[in-house]
Amino acid sequence: MIKENCKLALISIKANKMRAFLTMLGIIIGVAAVIAIMTVGNSMTKGVQKQLESYGVQNISVGIEQIDYSQELSEADEENMKINPETIHSLANDFQDKISAISVEESVGQGTVLVNNKKATVDITGISAGYFKANQFKLLHGNYFTEAAYNQGSKVALVSDKYVKQIAGENYNPEDILGKEYEVNVNDEYLTVTVVGIYEYNKQSGYGGASKVQSTPMYIPVNTAWSFTHSKAIYYFTVVAADNVDAIALGNEIKTYLTDKLTTQLGDKFMVDAYSNQTMIQENSKMMGQMTMAISMIAAIALIVGGIGVMNIMTVSITERTREIGTRKALGAPDSMIMLQFISEAIILCLLGGFIGIVIGIVLGDMASHFMGYAPTVSFASIYMSVGFSMAIGVFFGYSPAKHAAKMNPIDALRYE
Amino acid sequence: MSNDILLSARNIRKSYYIGTPNELEILHGIDLDIRKGEFVSIVGQSGSGKSTLMNILGILDRQTAGTYKLDGIDISKAPNKALSSLRNKHIGFVFQTYNLIARTDAISNVEMPMLYAGVGEKERRRRAIELLEMVGMGKRLHHTPDELSGGQKQRVAIARAMANDPDIILADEPTGALDSGTGRLVMDLFHELHEKQGKTIVLITHSNELAAETPRIITISDGNIISEKTGGKGVA
Repeated sequence: MIKENCKLALISIKANKMRAFLTMLGIIIGVAAVIAIMTVGNSMTKGVQKQLESYGVQNISVGIEQIDYSQELSEADEENMKINPETIHSLANDFQDKISAISVEESVGQGTVLVNNKKATVDITGISAGYFKANQFKLLHGNYFTEAAYNQGSKVALVSDKYVKQIAGENYNPEDILGKEYEVNVNDEYLTVTVVGIYEYNKQSGYGGASKVQSTPMYIPVNTAWSFTHSKAIYYFTVVAADNVDAIALGNEIKTYLTDKLTTQLGDKFMVDAYSNQTMIQENSKMMGQMTMAISMIAAIALIVGGIGVMNIMTVSITERTREIGTRKALGAPDSMIMLQFISEAIILCLLGGFIGIVIGIVLGDMASHFMGYAPTVSFASIYMSVGFSMAIGVFFGYSPAKHAAKMNPIDALRYE
Repeated sequence: MSNDILLSARNIRKSYYIGTPNELEILHGIDLDIRKGEFVSIVGQSGSGKSTLMNILGILDRQTAGTYKLDGIDISKAPNKALSSLRNKHIGFVFQTYNLIARTDAISNVEMPMLYAGVGEKERRRRAIELLEMVGMGKRLHHTPDELSGGQKQRVAIARAMANDPDIILADEPTGALDSGTGRLVMDLFHELHEKQGKTIVLITHSNELAAETPRIITISDGNIISEKTGGKGVA
């Protein structure tokens, strides 16, 4: 019976191809929109997630924050925002089982290097040994700084392969670079450093459009940076939680620990903030999910409008085929069969539209994701949802016209002109 | 002979309400018995009530008063839901305008009553081919109605009417839309069904000429049977 009804429905759809297509168009657009949006949403969430994860899933940013930003700060207050290196040391000691590294950074500023009339720009950044654990980093040639270099503030530097290519050409010989001294002009002051290593510059780790940025970081030990800038100020640092430690929980523990330790320094104007990247990842995922959902809801309106189109066409189709319905009833078709016939037709129409919509949706979603620079991730949930939804639309919007057909009086239907 | 009676109508009345209390009575108490194997024509001018009578006999409509028994079943007592199945099993319709299902080939049209009767796919096909061959349409099994001439369509319709081997074939002006030549062929087919297969056939027509071919002629006028003749030239 089901098979027969499907056959009948296909015959009727084939007989009115153009009309069937126009009817399906509503469903196609609706389903395609929902799937495309959910695919883009998914891809974006995954892409952003991946980027956030590249900043370190176990990283916790710790710093002192002003409670009320509208308050103006005195010079003494400014001093209170600095974190004493001793505090960091004791934190590292007290949490040594849970912390894998602590990274401190000091940005010196942008500098220029002139070599053989070729100019390269670098962002000079002082770092502690923990920096390489808190950030993704790949050393191509040479070595990391020695412990002595960190402690003594040696004038050594790590430069990017991009920088090297700028001054020595694409096919540089690392031997020519390593161990060489460079004079860097920073705000008209000169810093002379010896290059000890070359790292791979990862444009993905920066913000969008990073490939066009000419300036790449030049890393020096943080003590070297402090002696160059004549100031030793730590406003924030990054704690890398050990692999098996819950970073969010550790963040809270650090916050409590430091709040306790720095009570006098914090006063009533400041507070300790320890923000785990995981919190950010979770919040981002939640926010993106909600956003995708909200836009999908709007797209779902298209589906409902499409469903109304199906209902309209079913009504027209039934009116046109009144005599056929009359004949079928005269030949002994029970009401239920007539109803089934037209509901099948509506469902098949919607499913066909649904399938076409899914294909278009996936293609559009993939294209849009590519265009936005994210790896496309098709949302299978959205596909199941769309198929289910288009079937439901078929039943829901096909029901009332089909019921009308089933309830027709056979004589009136036979006489219908 | 009474046990031979297939169809029995007693005091059938049919009225329409065109806004109460204006009641319009179309049939004023028809008494009619049709025996198994009879070929009866019901003849009357348009507006005489013959179509209304046919609708009631064909269980497409219910009478306002009176009793109608078909093969011993009191139709007036049958629930609405049962009517389609009664039509399906007991009655074969042949319409003036053929009423074949459009865009559906001859064989599928003939299969349709069997589909509603729940006959299996293979048996349906076999029987449909057999019937189409019987009406001389064996070479046009897969033609759709718009690829068939009027006479061919009516032959397919007759094959369809025969599908569930009904007790009675109700033919409403079956030659009304055909030229005299093809009309003749269709009438010959009815005679053949009657004589060779002993089918009970009720022919509804406005033409005295066609009616004269059948062994029994019932003339209806203004909702009453005004004359009944037996032994027309249709008696073989």
